[in-house]
Formats: sequence, structure tokens, C-alpha cells
Amino acid sequence: MNPLISYLIIFTLISLFIYTTVNKENLAKAIGTFSLVFLIISFSSMSTDYYRWTSEFIDEVDNPHYGLPDLWDDKQAVCFHFPAGYAPSGLDDGRHHFDFDGTDFKTDKDWNSTGACVGGFEDFDNGLELFNAAVGATGSTFSYNSTQFSFGLQIDSIAGVLPCEAYTCAADFSSGAYWELLHNGAYSMVGISDLILDPDSVITWQIASY
Amino acid sequence: MNNILGYEEDAITMIDAHDINLGPNGILFVNVALLAMIGWALWRAEKSITTQSEMITLFLLGIFAISGRILLDPIPNIQPVTVIVLLAGIHFGAARSIILATSIALISNLYLGHGLWTIYQALGWSLIGVFGAMISSKIYSNNKLSVNPLMAVAAVSGFVFDWIVSISALHVLSPDIFFLYILNGIPFDLLHATGNMFFVAWFAVPLSEIMTRHIAFKQPSVVDNFAKTRV
Repeated sequence: MNPLISYLIIFTLISLFIYTTVNKENLAKAIGTFSLVFLIISFSSMSTDYYRWTSEFIDEVDNPHYGLPDLWDDKQAVCFHFPAGYAPSGLDDGRHHFDFDGTDFKTDKDWNSTGACVGGFEDFDNGLELFNAAVGATGSTFSYNSTQFSFGLQIDSIAGVLPCEAYTCAADFSSGAYWELLHNGAYSMVGISDLILDPDSVITWQIASY
Repeated sequence: MNNILGYEEDAITMIDAHDINLGPNGILFVNVALLAMIGWALWRAEKSITTQSEMITLFLLGIFAISGRILLDPIPNIQPVTVIVLLAGIHFGAARSIILATSIALISNLYLGHGLWTIYQALGWSLIGVFGAMISSKIYSNNKLSVNPLMAVAAVSGFVFDWIVSISALHVLSPDIFFLYILNGIPFDLLHATGNMFFVAWFAVPLSEIMTRHIAFKQPSVVDNFAKTRV
């Protein structure tokens, strides 16, 4: 159920209670005061739910901020793009969007890959910290395995998907696949643990082959 | 380094109310208290006005509206201006409500920030005042203000005013995303509408009584002319 409906139900029930209990002379004052107090108290969470809901209908013309919902403008996000057929269960019908608290509020079915973005984060300076925050926000859906090398962290699998399961990898390493890290749409020249973020950074993980 | 009084500057520590950080809720509390003081003082001042002077009443209402808009600034989009202008339109007519609306927009924006948007705000509030004048006979009849219909009008006025002011965004935004701009503003429009309902519920009747007391009765022009002719 849309969370906005629950606000509406609560508001209606309390208004009905006021209507039946307060005398006619003071009814306008009671309803006016209750409406204002209710809105001020619930404004922060209600407006967040509203913007999540409306983002489903909004398709920004020039796709600013890498096609992410306008709710995340000027905020940080981590995207996980899976090859067709390898997205986690329930995320194979387009690109899902999870807010920082794990709420799945929008699915972009026209996006040219499957998976999800987790966003709405602020003030992260380091790529690994943002990555861990995004993984933590969605439970175990995007849990990852990694290997620590002297040059940094290598991501072996995300959501249980090994690159060489999706692509053919030769035993002599003449061809293979790996989880590729993009920062703001461009190939990252440093690993996730060394990545310095912008206030509106978008990290993307996708499988690349060679 | 010594200052002009001969004291070493670092040695002077100012200890006064400037050092107290009230936080946003504390500031809001102070502002509401100030607004209550202004409102009470204006109410007392109005009682001592014996003449039927609409302009003095408009001046007092203007002070309250400007103070309310500035002091309630910490709560987004909640202020008494829309309701006061609407009531002014109902009681004093379109022209006087336009004077009031434009003055409030200009003077309060000298503090809150003056720019191109001021003209849209003046236009928005003026239109609400004009609309108030148009529905005057339906909202105020037999010396009685119909509060419930006025609440509904005030709530709609909140949305209308915000959308009129939103037109100013077309100076920098393309019309393609204007709908998105309006859509994003709806939670704040709702705050304006609900605030208006609150102000109508609590203040419309006393404000209406004040305005009614000072409506200047127009000279009946036919009799006036007749009297001049006679003289």
C-alpha cells in the first residue's frame, strides 16, 4: 500500500473523531489546528514518501544525474547492473531504485540493463564506505565477496554473481570477465577503497569482459 | 593588540544574549511570542481608533501581516498574509486589497529577499484580494462571516497563490519541466493551504469584526449632488 494512503487514513480517522466529539462552535478551530499540527509533524516523512511516489511518473528529459530519480539530485548512489538473466530475484524487470532506508520506490523498465541503484546518500568521502552503506541498506541482496591485494580491494562477486558465470573465461586468462567500477559514468582509474567521492557521486558496478 | 579603549582585544569576552544559540525551535518560539505581542498591541490600538478610517485599519493589518510573514519564516509557507488579503478584499473591496497585498509583498521582501518574484507574489495576493471582493456577498452577509466556506476558499487560495508565484520559475526553467516544478511544490502548497485554514479558524472572525468596525460609509452621491444643487 502506498504510504501516503496510510497518512490519509490516519488523518481522516482523527478528523472524524474530532467532528463527532467537538461542538459545532469550535469545530473549525479544532480541525484547523489538528490539520496544521498533523502536517507539520508528519511533513518530513510524508514529503519523502510523496517524492518517492511521484518519481515513478517523472521521466526527466535529458537524464541529468545518470538517469537517477530527481529525488537523488545532488546525492550519492551506487548502481548494480547485471547481465540479462543474472539479476537477483525480483530485480530482473528493469532497474529498481532503493532509497537509503531500503525502500524500493521506483522501477525504470526502460533502462537498458537489469539490477538496482541504491541512493539518497550524503557526505560520504570514500567509495568503499558508500558501497558498504548501499549494500547494508538493502539487507543481503547485494552482499559481496572480495579479495584484498596490495594494490587494493578486488570485488569477486556481487549478489552471488561471479563474472565468469555470466561470461566465458579462458583458463589461460586470454579472455575473461570482471566486476568493473565506474565513477560518474566513466571507468574508475582507482579501486573502490581508494575512490574519493563528489557530493553527487554515482558509483556503478557492471560486469565487463575482455 | 589594544583596541580604541586601551584594552587588549583578546582579553575582552562578550558575555550576553548574543552568545546563546537558541536553535531553530527556540527562534520559532521567540518569533511566535513576538508576533503575539504585536498582534495584541495592534488589537488594543485598534480599539482606540474611533474614526471609520479604512486606511488606518489597512495600515495596522499590514503591520500584522508583514510581521507574521517575517516572524513565521522558519516554518515554510505558513504565514497570515493570504488570509488577511482575502479578508481585506471581502470587507474593503478590490482596490484596497491590492494596495495591501502589494505593500505587504514589497515591504516584507525588503527583509526576506527582494527580486523578480516580488511582482509575482504581489500579483498572486492581489488576485486573491480581488477574488475576495468578488465573493464578498456570499462569504459575508447579514453582518456574519461564513467561516467554513471561507476556510475552503483560503485553502484553495494557498494553491493558487503558490502556482502564480511558480510562474516566475519560467524565467529560468523551460516550460517542459514546469509541470515537474509544480508537482514538486505540492507538499509546500499543502502547508500553505493548511496554514490558511488555521488562520481562518482562529483569526477570521475577530479580524472581520475589526474590519467591519472601520468600513467607511460611502456618501450617497445622488443626495450629495442634490444638496449641492440646492445650495
